[in-house]
Amino acid sequence: MHITRRALLTTVGGIAAAATLTSCAGTGGSSAGGGDPKNIRFMSNHPGKSQDLEQKIIDAFVAENPEYSVELIDGGSDYEELAQKFNAQLAGGDVPDIVVASDVTWFPLALNEAITPMDELWSSGKVDSDDYVDTLREDYVFEGKHYGLPYSRSTPLFYFNSELWEKAGLDGAPTTWDEFDEMAAKLLKDNPDVAPLVVPDGSNYLDWYFQGMIWTFGGSYSKEWDMAFTDDKSLEAGRFLAEQVNKGHIKITADPTNEFGTGLAGALLESTGSLGGLKEQAAIEFDTAYLPGPKPGCPTGGAGLAITNKIDDERKASAMKFVEFATNQDNTVTFSQATGYMPVRKSALEHPDEQAYLKDEPRAQTAIDQLAENTQSQDYARCFLPGGGDRIGEGLDRITTGGEDVEKIFEELQKQSQEVYERDIEPKL
Amino acid sequence: MNNDAGTHRHGGDRRRLRGAIAYLAMLVVVATVVIPLYFVLITSLKPRPDIYTQPVMWFPDEIIPDSYTTVFTAVPFWEYLRNSVFITAVLTVVQVVLGVLSAYALVFLRFPGRHAAFLFILASLMVPKEITVISNFALVAQLGWTNSFAGIIVPLAGVAFGAYLLRNHFMSLPGEVIEAARMDGTPPMKMLWRVVLPMSWPTVAAFTIITIVTEWNQYLWPFLIASNEKVAPLPVGLTLLQQAEGLTNWGPVMAGTVVTMLPILVAFLLLQKQMIKGLTAGAVKG
Repeated sequence: MHITRRALLTTVGGIAAAATLTSCAGTGGSSAGGGDPKNIRFMSNHPGKSQDLEQKIIDAFVAENPEYSVELIDGGSDYEELAQKFNAQLAGGDVPDIVVASDVTWFPLALNEAITPMDELWSSGKVDSDDYVDTLREDYVFEGKHYGLPYSRSTPLFYFNSELWEKAGLDGAPTTWDEFDEMAAKLLKDNPDVAPLVVPDGSNYLDWYFQGMIWTFGGSYSKEWDMAFTDDKSLEAGRFLAEQVNKGHIKITADPTNEFGTGLAGALLESTGSLGGLKEQAAIEFDTAYLPGPKPGCPTGGAGLAITNKIDDERKASAMKFVEFATNQDNTVTFSQATGYMPVRKSALEHPDEQAYLKDEPRAQTAIDQLAENTQSQDYARCFLPGGGDRIGEGLDRITTGGEDVEKIFEELQKQSQEVYERDIEPKL
Repeated sequence: MNNDAGTHRHGGDRRRLRGAIAYLAMLVVVATVVIPLYFVLITSLKPRPDIYTQPVMWFPDEIIPDSYTTVFTAVPFWEYLRNSVFITAVLTVVQVVLGVLSAYALVFLRFPGRHAAFLFILASLMVPKEITVISNFALVAQLGWTNSFAGIIVPLAGVAFGAYLLRNHFMSLPGEVIEAARMDGTPPMKMLWRVVLPMSWPTVAAFTIITIVTEWNQYLWPFLIASNEKVAPLPVGLTLLQQAEGLTNWGPVMAGTVVTMLPILVAFLLLQKQMIKGLTAGAVKG
């Protein structure tokens, strides 16, 4: 039997979440009051290889506020691992003050009152919440309250190998998926060994990338809380994906970024967060473009910073102070330029350094423009249902690399998602 | 003579065929085990562009140590190694000592409820570790042991497997030898040390190896407890080389894997000698 680390962690997280839900971890630690409000504990998975950067931000914060100390806690290698660790900590009672919460992990945390609504902290801490990019800030709203501030926010980008594109006589990235089909056929004819497009597999957020594709067909995972996997248009998108994989136009793989970076693929769907790494290490010339349309054909994503609910008000205020600092104008500029994540503050976009940088690096500008023109917020079935991303990712793996029947799998997804909704969400709304 | 030679040849053919099949099976096993390891090793030594080529490169063009340099400089490797060695050493000693002592008590000492005690130990083997993770975490957090060696080691130290394995082995020891020692009035600890253990080294050595490998590769629990390189062992620390949204550079990941494997290999080779020595000591007939 093949047990991945992530599957294992998911199991544990599930148990932990169940324990949190019933709010009896069995062994107490229910009040995590106390703790030193001057010692801020920040748990991060260092998105986009940002550990050194985060430490720099922390050092700058402490230099400016010497009465504080900030501890950086390793939260694993991805957002899910971090969420599992946080769930265990919640059940156990020893919680960090600030956690990185991704598009799919923040909502279950908010629903279970594990993270705190920030609106009051904004007004008491004099946080200029209007300066955060509106769509990114509003992604964290539940029942009219905000549960996070954007931090390492991204959209998928269409990265393409300029040289291969030129050789095949193609002009720019495809604007629709049908156009991609034609382009891919051309690319494949010239270079039968090179996959025209590589996309991460279901364990690496294929469910996120495919979400854009399903929208362009008029389908979706869900419309608010109504599951929509079995809608005709959604099924059509699923069939298109499976067919593209069969034709060899799309290759689903665990680590596509490296394949693209070394010239083994014509194009790549990846997060904007990979731009920094690719710029540094890619052996090829590449450009970035929007995901194929028709618009909107691209979800937003990435992670924000959230504050633990269990800690007392003084600790929350300290935590808010650090969150604000980590995402202030200067730090946003540094962080987004080093990682490729989107600048999350409007004022950062006007910063002279940022303007100069974007002029020099139009590939980063793509993400910012796409955010305004080609994105919409994600479907509830993926990002609000517990385990939604994993569930859909697994289903997509089965119709692509597994070669299973699209109707059958999407029907299962429909059924499972509906069950999870009725069991975990509906009673709490 | 002719007939004889005929049967001989016939038997020889069959033996040769059997030998060939055995060798073939061995080759398959070696291939499935060795080829991935070989790939790990050469990937760790290849220059980055050579890692991703089509067709796959079986022999690197050039061998460079860059990936190793990255492992040693990009993450606090030595701290992780120190933590791994410390955690594994303490856990192995504790588990082997506990296992031997409790198995000895269960088999050779007569006390009321020892069957119940054994059933209890057996039952605890049936509980998956993942189930106890949360309550263990709560306990450790209340004791203020997060991000500490105590927090990682103590909950992992009590493992019933050793008691179970060694009990079964002790049961199989020849009763005459034990009886003889008892009649001589050997005190319990002396009996363990002088009579029981000398006949049990292979099993103890095997259990030690299993423990070392298990604890060295322990991921979930140390991951939950450790916050940083102060106490995190290698498997946890090396995830820093692997990033979801960044770009994973596989050379250093493989180099890290190689360096993580080496100490286990050394431990295995050392203990294997012990196992064979124990097997050939022949303490049974006395």
